Amino acid sequence: MTIMAKRISCAVIACFMSAVASAHHSFAAEFLGDQTIKIEGTVSEIWFKNPHVRYYIEVPSDDGTSTTWDVRTSSPTILVRRGWNRDTIAEGDRVIVEGYLGRDGRKLLSLISIELPDGTVLHHSY
Amino acid sequence: MIKTISLLTLAFLTLSAHANPALEGDWMIEMKPSGAPIIGLLQLERDGDNWKGFVEGGPVPVTVNGDRVDILIDTRDLRGFIFFMRLDGELNDGKLAGTFTIESEAKVNASDGTWTATRYIEEVRSKEPDPVDLSGIWSPAPGRDFRKYVMDLTPAAEAWHADYLMHYDQPNVRCVSPGITAMVAWGAYPFEILESEDKLTFIYEFDSEVRRIFLDGREPPEFYPNSGMGFSTGHWEGSELIVETTLLSQNTRDFRGEPISEQARLEEVYTLSEDGQSMTAVITLHDPDNYRRPPIRRRAWTRKPETEIYPNECDPDSFYRQMYNEGLLDMYFERSRRRF
Repeated sequence: MTIMAKRISCAVIACFMSAVASAHHSFAAEFLGDQTIKIEGTVSEIWFKNPHVRYYIEVPSDDGTSTTWDVRTSSPTILVRRGWNRDTIAEGDRVIVEGYLGRDGRKLLSLISIELPDGTVLHHSY
Repeated sequence: MIKTISLLTLAFLTLSAHANPALEGDWMIEMKPSGAPIIGLLQLERDGDNWKGFVEGGPVPVTVNGDRVDILIDTRDLRGFIFFMRLDGELNDGKLAGTFTIESEAKVNASDGTWTATRYIEEVRSKEPDPVDLSGIWSPAPGRDFRKYVMDLTPAAEAWHADYLMHYDQPNVRCVSPGITAMVAWGAYPFEILESEDKLTFIYEFDSEVRRIFLDGREPPEFYPNSGMGFSTGHWEGSELIVETTLLSQNTRDFRGEPISEQARLEEVYTLSEDGQSMTAVITLHDPDNYRRPPIRRRAWTRKPETEIYPNECDPDSFYRQMYNEGLLDMYFERSRRRF
């Protein structure tokens, strides 16, 4: 199986098996539970490790600059059990992310869903 | 929301001139939302015309009027967002029953429902050991636990907690063990039980922690260090496994950051279902330095032999990197005295 085929296969599994997770520290300390936003950008770095998986997303601005968003999900083992592994999303992927907004104007998102380049949408719920 | 919680902590005394004294006492309460039921200990106490309420050891505001009772229970969702369950019910034929509604500023995955409460009767366990087979892999099951947010802290614990900084002061965000008290109560990860002649070995996926529960009545070795997992002994009372853990290191109990002292004793009571396919635990923290009433948590697991226990390592780099990017490293290290 090619890497791309493996990625698509995993993504399809995850599409049907949304990740339902339990945090092991308070997301409420960092995120607003009643405010969600969507961002569109390019995955610049992946942290597929504990304490939480992070995707760093470069979001371009109209003035030619870009902003890096720190998008958090769950722990690797919880994601992997649901078919979402370190190859599911790759650096360079163009993605659309919906998430809970970080507090104090910080560029943080707690991931609710992510749309991959092939149109697959992965969900992460609590 | 923080203001609400502060008020809640202070305002659990409620005046009622026409209360039915039969409401006083300990109750086992069962909440029936759209999902799995939640159970817990409800204590209603009267001091003259004042009523106090406690759920799982933590204070709750109570209003009593005749046979009717109104209770506001603070809890949190799996992410840590605080919400409230407002219970309205009535005493009838020696039982309490009513409905509850969810009150929350955040979007939480919780539903309204009904509730009942019956008189709490302390379980009398057989002293004759009748061990059951707990060996195998157990995956968390939903429900059971109130996740009561605010507990009945001593003045010393209140003073310590007043300077607690959410997120930055919680040990496991920097990959330090959350400790056995939190690890048993948090429900996201499976664990495996191995049985041998003189001990049970619990292998937790979370943090890849290993815990030995000695069944031969031994004492801890001299100068055994305090640690997140502590020193555990166990014995059987009938078919229930009673586990006592001491020599814990200082840590926090749950997301609110309420403290655990080195003198704390954790008691866990494990019960296997008739068919051997599910297991429950009542988890009670005895720590009079910090809590005037012992906090109680409840968990359930399902036997899942096909589940693999995955490696689970933690790298704190992302925690420090975020503070570096935000210019908060000085703030963090200036608070080092807060670290256990």
